[in-house]
Amino acid sequence: MEFAQLCDRVEIDNVSEPLDVSSLAGVWINSNPDTNGIARLEFSDVDGKLSVRVHAIDPDGLIDWGRAPAKLFAASPKSRTTAGFTCTYDFGFAEIRLQAMIMKGLIVLAQFHKFKDNSNRMEFFVREYFAVVHDRY
Amino acid sequence: MEFKQSGHLDPALTDPATRTLRTEQLTGRWLNTNPDTQGIAECVIKQDGELFSIDIAGAGPDGPIRWPTCRSTPLANLEEEAGQRVFALSATFEFEFMTAETYIRVNKGVLVIVLFASFRDGSKRSDYVNREFFYRPQPER
Repeated sequence: MEFAQLCDRVEIDNVSEPLDVSSLAGVWINSNPDTNGIARLEFSDVDGKLSVRVHAIDPDGLIDWGRAPAKLFAASPKSRTTAGFTCTYDFGFAEIRLQAMIMKGLIVLAQFHKFKDNSNRMEFFVREYFAVVHDRY
Repeated sequence: MEFKQSGHLDPALTDPATRTLRTEQLTGRWLNTNPDTQGIAECVIKQDGELFSIDIAGAGPDGPIRWPTCRSTPLANLEEEAGQRVFALSATFEFEFMTAETYIRVNKGVLVIVLFASFRDGSKRSDYVNREFFYRPQPER
């Protein structure tokens, strides 16, 4: 078995079950109410595959980015519990790559914004925190 | 100007000063803060003009495993850490059996590497995400 670091060197017995995605279920809200970026993440199962729907803040309020398929990641090569995801939005004038990991019950979302128009805007990176909406207390 | 969030209209994105941010805080040799890591042992970042080269060594059974060098352009990190204007790097390392997508940034003098590993060798290993921390070794006196 090939590996690039010791933690990759694990033997996996027969695995049939998909990753447990319950850790991502629901609606997640940015912990910063004054964000000028992504405000809300919403996950749903579409034909057995998880997708994410993003709403961001623009000068007029919320803007719906639509749904994007989420590629899922566990916490280790042996784990079957989802601990992160990646996805990409391509809007033509800009491509936005999202890389997320779950830490202490929060989604830590890294966002990479690459502009493809002639606006001379520099590529930028933002990292924000999202908490799941719940009604327990 | 097109946008999909208010942040796309931030004047700093076209401010020439943003492109001249100091990058020394990223460059150099970094060692994992965990001497027993099973992951990335060492990272060396060099700047060559507008590009950065990133050399990573993974912890191996018989010593470090050298990864293919990756080149990357910096991204402005405008909003984090109380307005600190710094750079972050996004770098993807390709192996025959795996892709390792990373982002690299410095927070309060500590280099943070977040790695998203995707296997494509049929080994049934789960794709996984991992985060590790790195410090600058002190020069020998």
